[in-house]
Amino acid sequence: MMMRISDLKTHFPTPDGIVRAVDTIDLSIRDTETFGLIGETGCGKTVLGLTIMRLLHPATTVEGEIIYKGQNLLEASEAEMRTIRGREIAIILQNPTTSLNPVMKVGEQIAEAIRLHQGLNKKDAAAKAVEMLDAVRIPSPSQRANEYPHEFSGGMKQRVMIAMGLACNPSFIIADEPTKGLDVTIKAQIVELMREMTERKAMLLITHDLSVARELCDRIALMYAGELVEYAPLKGIFESPLHPYTRGFLGSLPERGLVPIPGMSPSLIDFPDGCRFHPRCEHATEVCRREHPELVEFNAGHFVRCHHARS
Amino acid sequence: MLEVEGLTKQFSSGIIKKRNVSAVDCVSFRIEKGKTLGLVGESGCGKTTIGRLILRLVEPTSGTVVFDGIDLFSLKRAELRKIRPRMQMIFQDPDSSLNPRMKIGTSIAEPMKLHDTVPKDERAQKIMELVETVGLNPEHVNRYPYQLSGGQNQRVVLARILALNPDLIIADEPTSSLDVSVQAQILNLMRDLQKKFNHTYLFISHDLEVVKIMADQIAVMYLGKLVEVGETPDVYNNAKHPYTQALLSSRRILLEGETPGPADIPTGCRFHPRCPQRRDKCAIEEPEPVEVGEGHYVACHLV
Repeated sequence: MMMRISDLKTHFPTPDGIVRAVDTIDLSIRDTETFGLIGETGCGKTVLGLTIMRLLHPATTVEGEIIYKGQNLLEASEAEMRTIRGREIAIILQNPTTSLNPVMKVGEQIAEAIRLHQGLNKKDAAAKAVEMLDAVRIPSPSQRANEYPHEFSGGMKQRVMIAMGLACNPSFIIADEPTKGLDVTIKAQIVELMREMTERKAMLLITHDLSVARELCDRIALMYAGELVEYAPLKGIFESPLHPYTRGFLGSLPERGLVPIPGMSPSLIDFPDGCRFHPRCEHATEVCRREHPELVEFNAGHFVRCHHARS
Repeated sequence: MLEVEGLTKQFSSGIIKKRNVSAVDCVSFRIEKGKTLGLVGESGCGKTTIGRLILRLVEPTSGTVVFDGIDLFSLKRAELRKIRPRMQMIFQDPDSSLNPRMKIGTSIAEPMKLHDTVPKDERAQKIMELVETVGLNPEHVNRYPYQLSGGQNQRVVLARILALNPDLIIADEPTSSLDVSVQAQILNLMRDLQKKFNHTYLFISHDLEVVKIMADQIAVMYLGKLVEVGETPDVYNNAKHPYTQALLSSRRILLEGETPGPADIPTGCRFHPRCPQRRDKCAIEEPEPVEVGEGHYVACHLV
């Protein structure tokens, strides 16, 4: 097991109240699998990625355990985290345009990470950066390494982000919406590249795009209002979804009939009582309004959080 | 209802060495009243420019646009102003389409005030009616855009437009900033409104799956030109252009490279450097649209 997350809660104090962005998450990610975390805006999925990397504001309260290769990351010192970030666990952030430094050459930005984490000298790090650009199939990499981010297209910038994430050969990758904002034909290229580059690595793929998840993931989890409502192998989610939210999410896709889920996601400050999905659920009954359902294993490996789960 | 013929727009770029960049190159299509044409293409292909040209938010280089028998490009400013309420546009990002300092109710009232489509004493009632039509609650009227979600704000944008009783609505990626479950709500609302008010839609999108549901006809655009136009089922089930085939994600065709900018358009067929089926001829000669089925046109040497 590459990573085991248990009882994880991430809460932010804000003037309006406590934002319970992650509340509560349990999941395990195996050595070479790609685990897809699907959810809509504001469900807490990005915060989960940042919690694993320990990249949150000091005022944030984090409870629970994140065990990575036997070590609890939440108890690791800042110095230990610095050796883990990049080298062991890397994050590929969404929105490469704002994630890259606009006044620094692309090659230098990649080399910076390599020097920091692998202790190579300037010259070797620069050579390694060019090698990485070549690996993500950027044409004429040694020339492109000397260019600035604004000289790259959106798809090329995303390739740079992937090169940067993989430069130190991490064993665990968190990819947060790696295809957001890309054109259809470029998205297909990036998905293909991600598939090749992460073949023997564990990856947590955070996305709202089911078509991307379908291409890359072994298992998929649906996140709603800070918690997982269902997770299963790819096939289980697409062919026999159990949770009404999963069914609604699939049904609202244009290719599956465009049937919307009524209402909208709750604020992370004020969850509904009982099942967090019940105000939008057509199957809700008294027990759903009263009791918060537990995540139970319905079929082998197929977990669901619903009082009325049925196949 | 809307006939676009040979529509072309060239922008000049550069300060010292001026050169023309053609964003839209000889585009023709027509939309019948009450129907939807889906205009599909990737970023920078010129699809937004077409929407803006039709509304004369930018002036065309050449071509004609006839709307309900009126040649739009021959109209003077005052005449154009009179016809504007009948043609409205929905933009991609609802949050930036609304004035952040204006209450929702005031925002909805603004267009009817400006064009005087509803008498003063009936406006308050009309606002309530519109709010209900687009599925908002009466209490939303006194809120500000930041207090509403993206989906709700897009409903406000629709209410503003409905206040003018438009005939033609140009929707430029109206749901691309929304989550899928909310996208489904807005698209369903747009379809219901179309049925109710017999709107004609030009639906601009990069998402072929969305267009498939919304449009009666599809036009696929690449680097300023239409490469394939036809009835929706024909284009989906019988796509002829290699670019359309690649866009239909289910076919899993991977294209090489990226779309060049409109400043360096390839010779011959514009798509040839990325085309998996290119021939020698494609680099030399530009293909003309050929009718391959009823109303189904394809610009490709292979057909």
